[in-house]
Amino acid sequence: MIKFSRYILVAIGILVTSIVLPSLFWTIFEKVPRSPNIFYSCITEDFIVVDGSTRKSPEGKEYTSDEYEQALPFMFYRQLMADGTMPDTIKGVKMETPSIARASSFYRYTPKRLDAPVPTLWPLLESQSGKVNLAMPEDYFRIEKRMEFIVARTNEINEEKSSLFTDALTAEGFIFPANLIAGLPTTRKSCDEGYFITDNEGSLFHVKMIKGEPYVVRIETPEKLDIVYIEAVDLRSKEYYCYVFTRNQGIFVIMDEVYDLQRLPVDGFNPAIHTFRLSADLFNKCLTILGENWYEAIAVDDMYQVVGTHGEKWEGLYERPEGEMLATLFPFETRMRDENSSFVRFYFKPSPGIRWLIFNLIALIAAVLLITRRGWSWKANIPDLLITAVTGIYGLIATQFFPNKFSKVKPPAKK
Amino acid sequence: MLKSLIYKEWIKIRLVVWIALGLSLVALINIFLKVRHDILFVDAANYWYSFLFRGVVFFSILKFLPFIIGLAIAIAQYFPETVNKRIKLTFHLPVSENGVLIWMHTFGALVILTVFLVVLVLFTAGSAIFFPSNIIRASLLTMMPWFLGGMATYFLVALILLEPMWIYRGLYTAVAAGFVTVFYTGASIGAFRPVLMPLALITLLLSFVVLFSGYRFRKGEM
Repeated sequence: MIKFSRYILVAIGILVTSIVLPSLFWTIFEKVPRSPNIFYSCITEDFIVVDGSTRKSPEGKEYTSDEYEQALPFMFYRQLMADGTMPDTIKGVKMETPSIARASSFYRYTPKRLDAPVPTLWPLLESQSGKVNLAMPEDYFRIEKRMEFIVARTNEINEEKSSLFTDALTAEGFIFPANLIAGLPTTRKSCDEGYFITDNEGSLFHVKMIKGEPYVVRIETPEKLDIVYIEAVDLRSKEYYCYVFTRNQGIFVIMDEVYDLQRLPVDGFNPAIHTFRLSADLFNKCLTILGENWYEAIAVDDMYQVVGTHGEKWEGLYERPEGEMLATLFPFETRMRDENSSFVRFYFKPSPGIRWLIFNLIALIAAVLLITRRGWSWKANIPDLLITAVTGIYGLIATQFFPNKFSKVKPPAKK
Repeated sequence: MLKSLIYKEWIKIRLVVWIALGLSLVALINIFLKVRHDILFVDAANYWYSFLFRGVVFFSILKFLPFIIGLAIAIAQYFPETVNKRIKLTFHLPVSENGVLIWMHTFGALVILTVFLVVLVLFTAGSAIFFPSNIIRASLLTMMPWFLGGMATYFLVALILLEPMWIYRGLYTAVAAGFVTVFYTGASIGAFRPVLMPLALITLLLSFVVLFSGYRFRKGEM
């Protein structure tokens, strides 16, 4: 029992050191990771890679500040207009501020959004109140066994409204409870489009409230989609309602009013580990998928036809000197947080390669020397040596912090 | 014998327990008076909104309370035993040395657990006036690591106090501080959900570790 209690302490010691030491290491040695922004220029009909303060073409030609602004007239139209260098027409289209502003949009998805705690109560705004400003409702809905509206002031369920909406959902074949609920729970948007909801079987629905009445549409998908995340957007162009991320069938957008699903031409996108960025202008959309040490940019025209692609790869974390050093010093590291998740967990990250074996060996030799010097019995210390051999410096520290003094100490040899 | 032993432990910690309960009650009253006040001023719907979508936590005053309670009860229970090595008297009783320590420790842990349960039950009851189950569930989920951290603090401080050598007390404190920090990592509402089970399991295992320094104490480790 007492020996067992010591091993619990040693395990805690290993856990704590494997969190603290690498975190200290990163505080000292971590460098800013590369995270370039990629745009598509309708002038040069090529990509522009913005990395820190440098702007380059894929071929490596560097742009000056003026060239950069002129290559992206939609991003910098206000500057170009002020300079008097904004072209009157591009590709035969007359340049007008409202249409430029309407077509421009940016979007960014990171895996942190997928693996995150989600609210289970949402406000359903009135979509057609006839007022210019949107207003927050006095109740919140949840979709569990049915759709329930809870009035905040009284903390009681509005039975009438709840059954009205539950019946409307049931009539469209909704299987309770809801799986995902996505919307824009704010009044700071151009109009209200309610919520995009998947039911227990993964079918997709659009739910909003029009003049107090439920509006429910079942959205037909071309194939059965394994939807993992939806993000509603408020585009000035009103081109689409939301982004739909599937586990491994890619990314879709749901076109405004017609509910057609348009697949974005990004292959190999994994929402659990990849970042997705989109920048849109009057002519093109530039889609970028970013991995830890690579990106793939795809430019599409307004009909979602691919007009260009460009990709790059650079050295990964463990190929850089600081990463190599970490993988030599420590056999693994434990983190409470991860860049791909909003949840707290014990993220166990084994070091790649076998270089850490050298340092584990050094830790083992140190443990052996300490045991010899103290004259402790070898037999009783075999588990400690094994622990040190496997966990390296962590095990060495933990076994020394909680000393293994259960065996009788040999009296020092008399001269 | 067991009854007297438990009574002895109760005498040591009763003042701290009453103070802990009193403080918790004051904290809870403060929380709900503030919720009521804020709801009057900003309207309930807006208040719910700030919790759901802005991550404003109305019970953050409770965060370090379990830590303080765990720490205070551990000190009240084990510090007197280390003065003049009084615990040696207990170890001379005609009961197994480990057995005595296990009983003392179980009693202390149960008292803390009771205090924590009282706080959690009162919190749930108070929240039910203002909030629906969804918000209460999310709140309890967010608080759970703090309360587990309080238990872990009790177990680890007992370990540190019973350790006879100062140098090791320092080393244990370093590990304990690193581990307890895990429970109090700043996180958004509900972010601890996946790690709660592992943390609860480790905390349960930590209830044994006092035996280690108890053993070292008995063997007169210097």
